[in-house]
Amino acid sequence: MSPIDPRLQEALDGERDPGTLPADLREAYDRLTGAAQLLAGAPRLSVSARVMAQIRKAPHPQPGESSTQRALRWLGRPRAVTVRLRPMWTLALAAGLTAVLLLPFQNGSTPQPGNAEGVAQFVGHFPGARSVEVVGSFNDWSRGMLHLNDDDGDGIWHGAAVLPAGQHEYMFVVDGERWVPDPLAGRYVDDGFGAGQQNSLLIVRPATAEP
Amino acid sequence: MRRATALALAMALAVPLPLGAQTTGSTRLVGRVPPAAQPAIDSIIAIAVAESLPTEPLIQKTLEGSAKNVPPDRLVSGVRRGLLQLRAAHLIVAEALPGQPVPDAHVVAVAAALARGVPEPIVTRLVTLAPTEAPGPALHAVADLIAHHFNPDSAVDLLVEAHNKGLRGMRLLDVAVAADHYLQRGGGRTPAEALAHVRAMLPNVPPAEAVTRHGTNGS
Repeated sequence: MSPIDPRLQEALDGERDPGTLPADLREAYDRLTGAAQLLAGAPRLSVSARVMAQIRKAPHPQPGESSTQRALRWLGRPRAVTVRLRPMWTLALAAGLTAVLLLPFQNGSTPQPGNAEGVAQFVGHFPGARSVEVVGSFNDWSRGMLHLNDDDGDGIWHGAAVLPAGQHEYMFVVDGERWVPDPLAGRYVDDGFGAGQQNSLLIVRPATAEP
Repeated sequence: MRRATALALAMALAVPLPLGAQTTGSTRLVGRVPPAAQPAIDSIIAIAVAESLPTEPLIQKTLEGSAKNVPPDRLVSGVRRGLLQLRAAHLIVAEALPGQPVPDAHVVAVAAALARGVPEPIVTRLVTLAPTEAPGPALHAVADLIAHHFNPDSAVDLLVEAHNKGLRGMRLLDVAVAADHYLQRGGGRTPAEALAHVRAMLPNVPPAEAVTRHGTNGS
């Protein structure tokens, strides 16, 4: 630490007229007095004082406040979050998201039948329906395996599936509860359970040319 | 991984499946059949196995009834009806193929035709026409024509003639589709005229599309 010039010290202590200082010391005098004025204008708060001020500003539970209101207030308060990422897991997550984003395009493409298989297209007019699926002998009469789509909301539901060539019985299930024969099937067969209900009948032609 | 494999193996050995379930595919019924119907369904499937009948249509009928929440008594009646149709179908095929093994696929196709209401003599005639060929398409063709109010004997005559002129398999379905399309074009045409029109075309009936679109080609 370099010692301060005695003349500058005397001027800062008010014991000497700053105008009598040489030019270099006068410049230093001006910088020091300017800095002193800035410090004098700043609030004089210690760290503990600032922390206590933040605590006082933070909202406190009100006497009549319910647990739901407290939870909402807790959720709405900004918080610092630290996220630590491993590159390997980040890449795996990115690959998974990519696969999910690509899936709708795969579903929208035309299914490709193999040997002894054919493509069946299903269309039904069900205005106002929330869901339509096809359930039949080709999927062991299981739900949730072949959903039809109505992307434009016009009430016309459609879908396609690759099925083994041959005969299949099926029905549409509308909104998960209403069993309806396919009005366009053209072939029907009594389901045999004594209530007069008919299954739709589908005959899938093999996509490969026949001899 | 090794532990998981050992556990799976131990579980498989600890819960052996009944022999009938392993051979008939009825394991697919586990957990899907109402308990009240289970003994009767098991009995019907056991009878089918004992009579060398295909069990798949019975399993399908059971799964269908369970999915539709059909009451147990009606579910059992429906499956029993399927057994009777399979039995009748087996007899028809066995008579058409004397001294030969009865193919399950033939029995299933004939049973399906009976379920669609095709009279037994018509079924017998078509199965006997070419006993070694898969009878499904011809049976569906005649069932389609009968369902559209064509005379059953005239319809089967047309299909026999189509077969004699070289049409096989799904091409026989095209015969029925052509007759139906001719009739639907209107103008006061009768089923007999439609059959005569298609007979004159044989064997050059127009082929249907490979993709099954309901309501457009009748497939």
